[in-house]
Amino acid sequence: MNSLSTASTLSAEDISVWFGERQVLEKVNLTFPANQVTALIGPSGCGKSTFIRTLNRMHELIPGAGLAGAVYLDGEDIYNESTDAVTVRIKVGMVFQKPNPFPTMTIKDNILSGLRLSGRKIENAEELVETSLRRASIWNEVKDRLNDQAISLSGGQQQRLCIARSLAMDPKVLLMDEPCSALDPGSTRRIEETIQELSETMTIVIVTHNMQQAQRVSDQTAFFLADDNTPGGVVEFGSTEQVFNGPIDQRTNDYVNGHFG
Amino acid sequence: MSFSERPTVQPWRKANLKRRFEILLAVAIPLPLTMLFALLSNFDVNLALIAVFLPLQLIAAGLVGVRAYGKRGIGDAALVVITIFFSTFVLVLLLSVLFSVIVEGGRAISWQFFSQNNVYVSPTTSLEYGGVGHAILGTLMVVGLTTLAAVPLGIAMAVYLTQSQSKTRNLVRTFTQALSGLPSVVSGLFILTIIEATQMGRSGFTGALALFPLMLPTVARVAEEALRLVPVDLRYAALALGAPNYRAFFQVILPAAKSGLMTALLLGLARVVGETAPLILTMNPSSATSLNPFDGGMTTLPIYIYNYLASSYQTSQARAWGAALVLLMLVGFLFGLARILSKSKTTKKKASK
Repeated sequence: MNSLSTASTLSAEDISVWFGERQVLEKVNLTFPANQVTALIGPSGCGKSTFIRTLNRMHELIPGAGLAGAVYLDGEDIYNESTDAVTVRIKVGMVFQKPNPFPTMTIKDNILSGLRLSGRKIENAEELVETSLRRASIWNEVKDRLNDQAISLSGGQQQRLCIARSLAMDPKVLLMDEPCSALDPGSTRRIEETIQELSETMTIVIVTHNMQQAQRVSDQTAFFLADDNTPGGVVEFGSTEQVFNGPIDQRTNDYVNGHFG
Repeated sequence: MSFSERPTVQPWRKANLKRRFEILLAVAIPLPLTMLFALLSNFDVNLALIAVFLPLQLIAAGLVGVRAYGKRGIGDAALVVITIFFSTFVLVLLLSVLFSVIVEGGRAISWQFFSQNNVYVSPTTSLEYGGVGHAILGTLMVVGLTTLAAVPLGIAMAVYLTQSQSKTRNLVRTFTQALSGLPSVVSGLFILTIIEATQMGRSGFTGALALFPLMLPTVARVAEEALRLVPVDLRYAALALGAPNYRAFFQVILPAAKSGLMTALLLGLARVVGETAPLILTMNPSSATSLNPFDGGMTTLPIYIYNYLASSYQTSQARAWGAALVLLMLVGFLFGLARILSKSKTTKKKASK
């Protein structure tokens, strides 16, 4: 991997989401400029995770899922009739809340799994494995045990392995759905440092419940909220500095200062 | 007091010498007492085991329990006694079946019993001649044919039931469950009517056809459970990496479910390998060795056992017992082989790279 591809700009326009008859998101408009880290915050059940899954077409895998609106990746709608979900997911990587390395594969095979699964050729496997693991800052911990089973790693290491697995695909955008919620402070700090470094080469969207984390890692922040029995939506969107220190909306102010949620 | 000077505390090891002696008494006394009682009163020994020994042992264990833990010791002691008593009961049942098959069957077993067929054997032929070689081959071919069709199809059904979101899934699942309760003789009758209607000859193949409806639902149901146990997270992880559905299935879900699918295969085998009724209806038993399952007579071990056990000649009955032992060994061999095959792949992968 000599030349890393450049980051992409992602923008969601009027995204509304249904599960069956129930609407869970109402007209979300967000833009994620290239090389920026965007944090999505908000109480549980407000649709953050649902929204982030619309950005790489993982949303449609849930039975009964419905969607309106468009998501533009470098100006092209990923929900275009002629666009294949598979090609979208190759460009837009995802890290899940719970570490989910492939249990039947070794550490090395986990890194290479993305290329194998998407049917692409693997050149310089050794180099790709090392680069990916280094970028996820886990290389030093696993370099002597690349052929061990991935589930032999600790939870924090597994999550960084999952990040490395996504990075091996050289994505233009990386979506992270509460990547640190199951991790200890040490692993969390490492992943936050990794996010900072990664933003030099890709666009990052991260869902988090941790206000400090949002302030530490993100350039801009979107606050989601769903009132009782109404679909969720974005209450406030702006630079992280502004959302946390001078929010316009009273509800944002209450949330970021820990008055509810 | 420094840490090293502290006495080791092991409260989970309660049995001091005195208690151990009590436990020893509680274990040692009731059984001889029961035997003595049965001897003196001409009581049936088996009945005495349940009517006298069990209550006696419960009381003895209860006494020790009370002395050790007070009231709650009674429940613990009762649970321990009842668990051990009934496990032993079941174990004795199983072992006695195994024991009688080994002892009775052992008389007929010799090398030629595995290799020869029964063409020149009459009821009075000595056990040194003839054997079940043809029936072993027949079993392997008939069950093998069934497995070849039922396992891929059963797993395919399980994939449909777990991976698709089709609306007819529940219907298919209900029918599969209903089918797994199908009496084997009905399956045999079904194929028999087909044989009659189409005038095709009875052969190993028609026997395999009769076994197929028995094996398929077992494989499908166990395989469905195995696939359901694979976390959906793994599928999402694979799809999020840009995998098409089929690659996610073959490279991630299938390997993760491998040992469960092997269990499906084994339970399917176990369901059909000992089947007799449908094969008696649909196969043409033969004493000769046949390597062609699609034409002519063929015998499987269960048919062989059935035919020879009905005879009043002692040598014939001995042959039936021998065949039963061979069948047990065959099943053990197949199960062992399947386990080794499913294990070696993962460990090899670990070691080789």
